Amino acid sequence: MADEQVTLTIDDQTVSVPKGTKVVDAAKTVGIDIPVFCYHEKLGPLGCCRMCLVEVEKMPKLMTACTMDVGPDMVVKTTTPKVEKAQKGVLEFTLLNHPLDCPVCDKGGECPLQDNTFKYGPGDTRMEFHRAENLKMGPLSPVITLDRERCIACQRCTRYSEVIEQDSALVMHNRGFNNEVGTFNNESYDTRFSGNVIDICPVGALTNSQFRFKARTWDLTNSDTLCAHCGCNCNMTLGTRTNQFMRIQARPNDLVDDGWICDKARWGYDFLESSNRLKEARTLPDGGTMLFSSPTTQDAAVRTAEAIRNIVAEHGPESVGFIGSPYGTNEELYLYQKLFRSGFGTNNIDHKVYADSPGLPIDHYDVSDIETSDLVLAIASDPTEELPILDLRIKKAVTRHGVRLAVLNDQATLMDKYAALSLHYDIGADGKVFSALTAAISGEGKADVKNTGIKADQLKSLVEMLRAGKKITIVYNPAALTGKSIHGLNQLLAMIKNIPSVECGAIPAAPQTNAVGAMDMGILPDYYPGGLPVLDSESIKQQWGENAPTEPGLSALEMIERAASGKLKALLVYRANPVVDFPGGKKVEEALRKLELLVVHDMFETETAKLAHIVLPSNGPGYDDGTTTNIGGRVQFRKGGLKTTNPPDWKIISLMANALNEEGDRVNYITSFSVTDEIAKKVPGYGEISKRSIKKEGATREPPANNNGSGFEAMDSPSPNADALKLRIANYLFAHDKILDASSQLAHQFQPSIVHLNKKDAKKLKLKDDDDVVVVSGDVEIAAQVEISDRCNPGGVVLPNISDEQGVWGLANDRDGVTWVEIRKV
Amino acid sequence: MFAFSKEAEEKIEKILKKYPEERKRSALLPLLTLVQRQERHVNPDAMREIGRRLDLSPAYVQSVCSFYTMYSSKPVGKYLILFCVNISCQLNGCDVLLAHTAKKLNIEIGGTTNDMKFSLHREECLAACSGGPMMRINDTFYENLTAAKIDQILDSLD
Ligand code: SF4
Ligand code: SF4
Ligand code: FES
Ligand code: FES
Repeated sequence: MADEQVTLTIDDQTVSVPKGTKVVDAAKTVGIDIPVFCYHEKLGPLGCCRMCLVEVEKMPKLMTACTMDVGPDMVVKTTTPKVEKAQKGVLEFTLLNHPLDCPVCDKGGECPLQDNTFKYGPGDTRMEFHRAENLKMGPLSPVITLDRERCIACQRCTRYSEVIEQDSALVMHNRGFNNEVGTFNNESYDTRFSGNVIDICPVGALTNSQFRFKARTWDLTNSDTLCAHCGCNCNMTLGTRTNQFMRIQARPNDLVDDGWICDKARWGYDFLESSNRLKEARTLPDGGTMLFSSPTTQDAAVRTAEAIRNIVAEHGPESVGFIGSPYGTNEELYLYQKLFRSGFGTNNIDHKVYADSPGLPIDHYDVSDIETSDLVLAIASDPTEELPILDLRIKKAVTRHGVRLAVLNDQATLMDKYAALSLHYDIGADGKVFSALTAAISGEGKADVKNTGIKADQLKSLVEMLRAGKKITIVYNPAALTGKSIHGLNQLLAMIKNIPSVECGAIPAAPQTNAVGAMDMGILPDYYPGGLPVLDSESIKQQWGENAPTEPGLSALEMIERAASGKLKALLVYRANPVVDFPGGKKVEEALRKLELLVVHDMFETETAKLAHIVLPSNGPGYDDGTTTNIGGRVQFRKGGLKTTNPPDWKIISLMANALNEEGDRVNYITSFSVTDEIAKKVPGYGEISKRSIKKEGATREPPANNNGSGFEAMDSPSPNADALKLRIANYLFAHDKILDASSQLAHQFQPSIVHLNKKDAKKLKLKDDDDVVVVSGDVEIAAQVEISDRCNPGGVVLPNISDEQGVWGLANDRDGVTWVEIRKV
Repeated sequence: MFAFSKEAEEKIEKILKKYPEERKRSALLPLLTLVQRQERHVNPDAMREIGRRLDLSPAYVQSVCSFYTMYSSKPVGKYLILFCVNISCQLNGCDVLLAHTAKKLNIEIGGTTNDMKFSLHREECLAACSGGPMMRINDTFYENLTAAKIDQILDSLD
């Protein structure tokens, strides 16, 4: 039994810990520090460095506290003369060849070797010979520097590569005295999670190339904050000095990140100083009322509000709209929806181009539930490319907790390797698969797998796995589903919940940082914050006042359509780049050009910002405070860290609101937490969220009620011609976009434009590997190279979105189903 | 590019049968040995190939390969002489004999003759201490060595 307690004595203190705990961790619970090098609680015991020797009564020899399980009535001593002598000896050996270049070592000040030596080590050495000389600073990768002289061969880094990353890219070569850390054939160690080895290396052997020699660690100002790049919301520390960015480190929160961050967090913050940043407000002279010269941000905000108000007065509230961002904080998004609903009287509010609605028909599980499940079903999700730390969590669950993984996807992913069952459906067949599964589980209706690419017996195996499950976590990416199939998925979830004796929950794993928060904050045309449907006019009036609009608004894509037809006059785009990221490509740009007023509030000079009449700069992560809600529904505080004279977004939005409000109604938020407090009052599910409640580990919000009772029927999308193939756009977190620009340190992670074809189709189209082709839909052509593989079933292609420049979303023009493309050789 | 010979492939088939599928990594040392015998060294291509078959990263294969001195990263001669320099052989004068062998072959310790006939490597205890000083040439142990005996052994190999 895991929760059986064992009681023992360590240095005369009585300790009670769960069976299986290592002595070193048991000691920690009562504040006794046993020095270690090779041991790391996330890696488990190895016992190679001997730093942790302790005396145990009735055992003749000293024991390694890191490998020894606690035993009942064990008596451990950590400070006897025998132990002290051993510690001195071990340290003398460890330091035998150590260069002791602490004065120029980045680890200095936070180095376990320094600290242990200081506390437990000998004052001197008997070593009289020359110390071994070795590689002093070589690139282990473009972002990590290796100093072989400092390495104490503790194997933390190589075991991290093996146990956590599970690809054994970093290994120990040779043996004995010649033992050294390395890769295959000296290739670059450039995995997605490589940077964590810097944090866990107990010496300065592995250092952050970007941070090298930039500052002494004790001179840094560290802000406890969150990564802003994906929906995992990993915890990290932002180190600054004299208000300049210095480095990022992991800040373990087991409930969120299990102690790790991916490389996008560690090296994806060059955007803070990107030359592409919008630093000040600007307006385009349009010859009209809005002409004013080099405004301050505050001025521009006020003018924006007035200009939109004038358009509302002239053309009605349906003529204006807001496109928000799943990257904004809860506070920013909350204030924007309030501005547009209460201030301008419209529900033309949205943040996404795929179908989804707030709430789940089953529990919203936190990411840590993955480890305690016995079955994980991953649907349409590619955590490795979309939510890296989720990938680590699933791998851990499978390999170390014996959790079974079932995969249901239209493309092959790295998760397949860990799956007990992997089903690949045809691109666009997701809705049909969900219906078939629902029918198979309920036993009602026909489980029809025709034209799905999945065989009846495969479906049956999956149903059996689900039926046998005790606790099931369903991880799905709503953004990778086609048409309205999310409703089919919701029906399926409800059906899984009905399986007797199954406990289940879901994690909606949309890749964007605050995708869950954006839904919760009501950045939707048909829901107010907290999943309150616009049609529930009574509750809305009660909560949001008599004048609150109760007509459903336009979705983001409808707003673009209305802009094209001239019916939508004004649009405020907040930290989104429709020109590149929305289906339609050029058409989106043409539509936006027709607007009477386009306001873009963003961090970067995007393709959309270039079209704007008014541009408002956004400070974004690194500067502005706020909370975000991760895929597990956990709300955490993202602290700014760096200071700027530009007002934070929540202030800019309040300025707009106050420009509309009568004196008595003006809002006066002091900090971002003032807005958080209002959210707690106004947004169902966020009642318990406060500065205090989310301080340590964050807090989960109550998920909104599920409003998804609507029926769903899967539809076929007919092929326009014999050679047409269905397109799946795969999104990559490490893509070359505004965040990771050309000068990014992570440029080595950028991928070439590749179209993945199935063998069968390649043969039919007479294409071979590496052929240069264009992927065509309508008048959009995207250049790519052919790669023939099993990435998707016959009849489809997978085209990863690898850069803004590549512009794959231009191809997607059919939002209610699948996009058909043709492949032409060039 | 590396490819296993036909005979090696047959052996691999037998070797893999010895281990359950999920423990197939256990076949790593036997496969490395096959490569070493076939190519007289283990090159990165072969490591990749072994990794592919056993589901191991090439880095892991290289790590194991570099741990054992009986695998070499550069091609060795037709006859690989592993000369024990560990304690028993040491006490019985292996140093002098090792130097003698190197001189006779006109190579450095660790080197290979130009005609690729002999390679001479230092080796740790080969568990034949009672017969030290000793050396191993390919799969044969030669014990109680003297300079004359070494000359005679080397001259007899073709
Ligand atoms: S590089 Fe650091 S973590 Fe890796 S083995 Fe050496 S000391 Fe340990
Ligand atoms: S997994 Fe996501 S949140 Fe976590 S560090 Fe990477 S990009 Fe940031
Ligand atoms: S910490 Fe226990 S042996 Fe290394
Ligand atoms: S010492 Fe040479 S064989 Fe053992």
